[in-house]
Amino acid sequence: MNVEFINPHQTSPFSRGRIKEGVFLKNEQAMKKFAANFAKKLKGGEILALVGELGAGKTTFTQGLAIGLKIKGKITSPTFVIMNEYPVAPRKRAGNYKLKILNFKLLHLDAYRLKDEKDLSALGVAELLNDPNNIVVIEWADKIKKFLKKYHVIWLEFKIKGAGRGVVIK
Amino acid sequence: MKKIIILGIETSCDETAASVVERRGNKIKILSSVVASQIKWHKKTDGVVPEVAARLHVSAIIPTIDKALKQAKIKPEKLTALAVTTRPGLVPALAVGIETAKTLALAWQKPLAGLSHLQGHIASAALTLGDLKNKKLAWPILALVVSGGHTELRLLSSWKKYRLLGSTRDDAVGEAFDKVAKMLGLGYPGGPIVSALATKGQADAFNFPRPMMKENNFDFSYSGLKTAVLYKWQELTIKRIPNSIRQLTDQIPNSTISNICASFQAAALEVLVYKTMRAAEKYKVKNIILAGGVAANKKLRADLTQVANKGGFNLTIPDFSLCTDNAAMIAGYGAIIYPESFSRNNWKKLDASSRDDTEL
Repeated sequence: MNVEFINPHQTSPFSRGRIKEGVFLKNEQAMKKFAANFAKKLKGGEILALVGELGAGKTTFTQGLAIGLKIKGKITSPTFVIMNEYPVAPRKRAGNYKLKILNFKLLHLDAYRLKDEKDLSALGVAELLNDPNNIVVIEWADKIKKFLKKYHVIWLEFKIKGAGRGVVIK
Repeated sequence: MKKIIILGIETSCDETAASVVERRGNKIKILSSVVASQIKWHKKTDGVVPEVAARLHVSAIIPTIDKALKQAKIKPEKLTALAVTTRPGLVPALAVGIETAKTLALAWQKPLAGLSHLQGHIASAALTLGDLKNKKLAWPILALVVSGGHTELRLLSSWKKYRLLGSTRDDAVGEAFDKVAKMLGLGYPGGPIVSALATKGQADAFNFPRPMMKENNFDFSYSGLKTAVLYKWQELTIKRIPNSIRQLTDQIPNSTISNICASFQAAALEVLVYKTMRAAEKYKVKNIILAGGVAANKKLRADLTQVANKGGFNLTIPDFSLCTDNAAMIAGYGAIIYPESFSRNNWKKLDASSRDDTEL
């Protein structure tokens, strides 16, 4: 799939200082394309922390990410089950002179129903974040901010802008 | 006739649960069903810290199993076998139940089976009927499994074999209820609150979308409906005071909130009922089972019963106590299929999975 990066300065009515270093995605498809493109830059071991109110596009972003990672099947909301795992199709990465076949998982977490970071360790999820073979996406990540301080985390903030959505990457 | 007595263990998400179910021929009954979060624990005698017990499966599981055996008045040596939920669910949570079950199976020298949580929900219909030869359980059976985490239509040709006809593409229906409750500032868990308020409102007050209704498949989608309710709520609240939405709950008349709840519920449930009936007709199924946490929704029970009766279908809905997560459904499912899936040696390989890949 050929996906182009959306230029916020061309498509967004919010580009004039209202979203700093962000993108404006005009609809669900644009959000998925943006995420699919984002996925291609991931090497494994990343933690993506998603923040934003209900309906702001966090799950839609993750669905797009899964498209980019060529994950087959449905990516459903992990709110109730707290975490879903999806095997990522093996892909090649250049390392030294041999090609390494990477085989990792997409862990889709949701802190929505957690009170705080204590719940996370009670559920036995904390250990999974240390695995460099996993790509971890955490919805409602602001609820476990303290816990995430220990890790290198890419924060993505989602905002509802009419029918579109804004995303700010930190 | 020989009695089959199964100990069931369930730790697929929030609940730590254990249960003992007895089967004699085609008659099946629950001897005990214990859910850790519903017990008043005695810190001294049970060794469980009540606040963390609900989510800390590790500390709750042994006392919960102990209680289930005691309530059933069954000693471990009297058990025929053990059954444990292995999928779908939260992997680390499932692992606690699985490792405990393996240890007990080894210590007590009993066979063990790893079973699907969702097939367990469906099997709870048999526990409610109490008789496996009931004509409502003649194959094939169409099952609608609806909960906070799942929304699926399964076509069963036996207790173990099914075909997944469709499932949600994003949010589960129970999740949509909870998130709408959160948006409207109504609290948690949202399902019961929204459906209670809905009885006071008008279902035609707002015209919310019926997602995937017209599409020629058996999939569902609740994310868009959630967003439609959000937009309507913003429209109503922002007109009043432009600042924060949270503070405004008092400003919006209760009747409007009830109307939103009723209109949302109507939209959410209509798709479930419509697609279930369409699947029943397409696959020429006589018998339907409604299962899972959302099966406790009174309007869904009433609506589906009405439509099923009209169309000449047999509908079975588990008792309210069996709709939410419990271990009786796992013990019961195990008792129904025993000795199939049970093993004395092979169970060492049992592993947790976040997905249900049992489809055959």
